[in-house]
Amino acid sequence: MRILLDVKRCEGHGVCAETAPELFRLDDDGELVVLFDGDEIPAGQEDASASAVRVCPVGALRRQP
Amino acid sequence: MVTAAPASDIDLYTEESIRSPYRDYRALRDLGPAVWLAQYQVWVVARYREVYAALHDHETFSSGSGVALSDAINERMRGTTLASDPPYHDHVRGLINGPLTPKALRKHQALFQEVADDLVDKLLGQSTFDAVTDFAQVLPLSVVPDLLGWPAEGRERFLPWASAAFNTVGPMNERAAAEVPAMREMWQYIAEMAESGRLRDGSWGADLVTAAAAGKVEKQLIPSLIGDYLVPSLDTTISALTSALWLFGRHPEQWHAVRADNSLIPNALNEIIRYESPARGFSRLLTRDHAFDGVELPAGSRVLMLYASANRDERKWATPDVFDIRRPNAKDHVGFGHGIHGCVGQGLARLEGNSLLTALAKRVRHIEVGEPTWRVNNHIRAIASMPATLTA
Repeated sequence: MRILLDVKRCEGHGVCAETAPELFRLDDDGELVVLFDGDEIPAGQEDASASAVRVCPVGALRRQP
Repeated sequence: MVTAAPASDIDLYTEESIRSPYRDYRALRDLGPAVWLAQYQVWVVARYREVYAALHDHETFSSGSGVALSDAINERMRGTTLASDPPYHDHVRGLINGPLTPKALRKHQALFQEVADDLVDKLLGQSTFDAVTDFAQVLPLSVVPDLLGWPAEGRERFLPWASAAFNTVGPMNERAAAEVPAMREMWQYIAEMAESGRLRDGSWGADLVTAAAAGKVEKQLIPSLIGDYLVPSLDTTISALTSALWLFGRHPEQWHAVRADNSLIPNALNEIIRYESPARGFSRLLTRDHAFDGVELPAGSRVLMLYASANRDERKWATPDVFDIRRPNAKDHVGFGHGIHGCVGQGLARLEGNSLLTALAKRVRHIEVGEPTWRVNNHIRAIASMPATLTA
C-alpha cells in the first residue's frame, strides 16, 4: 500500500503529524516533512497511515494499493 | 438491500429548532443514513460516517452548482471557492489559501497575542461585560478587515453582511428573503473595492487584484474571491469564541485544567467546535446515483450535510452531549467541513482561538457567565448575547 501526498492541496495544518508522528512532521518553517522514503507505507505503519489520511482536513492525503 | 427511503417533516428552520437543534438532529440521525426532508425537497445526511464520506467524495457530491438550498443563491455563489469543483476549485483555492496557511499566519501571532492580552486586561477591569460584543467580536474585527485590506469605510457592515450571507445559505424562507437587500449591498460594495484599487497594498484583497492584472485569474471572479475571505471569517469564529467562554464558564473544572496545562488548548478548541459547531452544514448536488446503506439517492438530488449533527452523532462519539476538552478524538470533528472544501481559514480561526485562550489562561482564575440568548440564523449557531465576568 502506498500513501500519496497532493502537495498542491497540502496547506500545512499539521493534523497528520499530530496523528502519525512517525510518518509526518512539520519542520521549523511549518513545512510538511515526509519521514519515509518513496511512497510505500513503512512496515508496521498501516494503521497510522490510515489515520493520517482520515484526519487530513483538506483531503491532501490518500492511500492507494 | 434496498429499503424504503426514510422521510421526515421535521423543519430545521423554525425559531425553536434553530435555538435548540439537537433533538431534531438526533431524530434525523435515528431515521436513517439519509432522510428526505419533505418540506424542503432535499435529502439530509445527519450521521457522522455519511457526512464524512460525502465530503471526501467530491466527484459524486458536487459543489459546482452551489452549496446553499435555494437556486437563486446557488446561482449567485458561482465563482466562489465554496461553490466549485476541481479543476477550477484547485485553481482558485490556490489563489486564496497562501496567506491563510498556518505557516503564513505565524507572522501575525505576536500581534494577535498582544490584542488578546490587552483585551483580557481590559475585561478584568470591568465588573460585567457582554461575551459577544465586548469579548468574541474584538479580535476578529480588529484583525480581519486589516488583513483583507479594507479601508475604514464600510467595516461596520461586515457583521450584518456575514449574517445575511449565512441566512441565505438555507432555504429561501422569510428570514433569508429579508437579507437579500443586504446581500446585494455587500456584492456591490465588494465589486467597487475590487475595481477602484482601494484595498491596501500587500493585503489579501489587493493581492487578488494583482493576480488578476497578471492574468492568473479572470478579473470578473475577483469579487467572489474577496467574498470567500470576507463572509466566513467573522461570524463563525465569533461564535466559537463566545461558546468557549460559555462552556468554560459552565465547566470550571475544565477551565482549571487548561490553566494548569496550556497544551490542552488546541484540543479544547476542537471540542468547542465539535460541541457547538458554528456552521450548521452545506449542501451538495449528486452527480450520479448514490446509496447510503441501502437508501438510494438519484443523480440530481440536492443533499444537505449537517456538520453540527455529525459532531453529536452517538454512532461516532462516546457521550456526544458531554463537553470534554480531553476527548481523545475531538480533532475528528467536521465543524470546519472536511476534504477539499475544508475551511480554508481554519488556521486563522485556530490562531485567534489560541491567542484568546492563552491570554485568558494567563490571567483569569474564574469565568462566570449568565444565561445566553441564542441567535436566530438559518445557518450560524451562535450566542447573541451573554453576560460574563472574569476574575483574576
